[in-house]
Amino acid sequence: MIGLAQIGCYVPERKVSNLDLMEKFDTDEAFIRDKIGVIHRTRKEEEQKASDLCLKAFENLESKQNIAIEDIECCVVVTQNPDFNIPHTSAIVHGVLGLPESCASFDISLGCSGYVYALSIVTAFMQANGMNKALLFTADPYSDIIDEEDKNTALIFGDAATVTLLDGDAKLKPLGFDFGSKGIGYKNLINQDNKLYMNGRAVFNFTASTVPISIRNLLKKLDLNKEQIDKWYFHQGSKYIVDTITARAGLDKEKVVFDMYEYGNTASSSIPLLLSKDILHLQKGQKIALSGFGVGLSWASTILEQF
Amino acid sequence: MSKVTAQQILDVISKANIVKDEEALANDKPLSEQGVDSLDFSGLLFNLEETLKIEIPDEDIDGLLTINDIVTYINTKK
Repeated sequence: MIGLAQIGCYVPERKVSNLDLMEKFDTDEAFIRDKIGVIHRTRKEEEQKASDLCLKAFENLESKQNIAIEDIECCVVVTQNPDFNIPHTSAIVHGVLGLPESCASFDISLGCSGYVYALSIVTAFMQANGMNKALLFTADPYSDIIDEEDKNTALIFGDAATVTLLDGDAKLKPLGFDFGSKGIGYKNLINQDNKLYMNGRAVFNFTASTVPISIRNLLKKLDLNKEQIDKWYFHQGSKYIVDTITARAGLDKEKVVFDMYEYGNTASSSIPLLLSKDILHLQKGQKIALSGFGVGLSWASTILEQF
Repeated sequence: MSKVTAQQILDVISKANIVKDEEALANDKPLSEQGVDSLDFSGLLFNLEETLKIEIPDEDIDGLLTINDIVTYINTKK
């Protein structure tokens, strides 16, 4: 069964401070730190595209472990801000990395739920086709579409990219998934005329009501209880939403990972960014839960075990 | 159908952990001036909708500045 072997990350050096915008948006440091949970938002260079961020993440992966390019059988990019509408961004990454022609490449158009959906899609694709090694990228540079005058979004989103090496020999494996969609709410988080619009209240309501249920359903499906989960990795939408989910799901706060102060909400990269710090430090038998939610509206949760 | 009271609103605020001491809140003073920020307010509306089984459309929110406003609004809807 396919597992997660290692995660490479790219976080741009350039950052924008939310503390510099307190007067503009009539807010204070306590709100920025304790509610939004973002002090600095990372910003790619203007000319960088999603594929460039992917390649930077790959460099980081290579610094952590040897990658035999000729062994990669599948290359996937999760993005909703691709280099071009046509072709898919994973084709560009495939070409630059010099991946074999036998390697399958495709994009997954999902936002903040994208990493967890992609784990299911790509591991299943690999299993069905007898593959052993794949690169799963997340790169969704929202800075290209943020309206810097919109308080709802201007203080939240940051740029980043990750790449997960999926490997048949890896020990961190998914036990099961829970998915869902609420397409009737699609207008609440939408790119209109190249600017992101978010109905914060609607997205909060959706998340607060849906994610605790998703967790409960997944635990039940896997015949587990929440006390058996060693760490929880939620999409880092904001500190307020992570705290809300934690409270509503009755989770031990000490087990809920939170770290977005210096990046912002990096969309589908937020969960793997967190996981990259822990992936090699999990003990045999430990179980972790991931849950992504947002654009669509959609959600996906998974529980993984370290074998 | 029974009327909603200010105490019920305070109970929701307490359950949702919106402020440290909900009993210290004045019913006729804007919540935004009593330590309830915009995210807290979204949380309050969510919890009110869930607890009281009502819907509060976005277009009605601007008028809900104080606890008394919320009580009047909900009782008018019911």
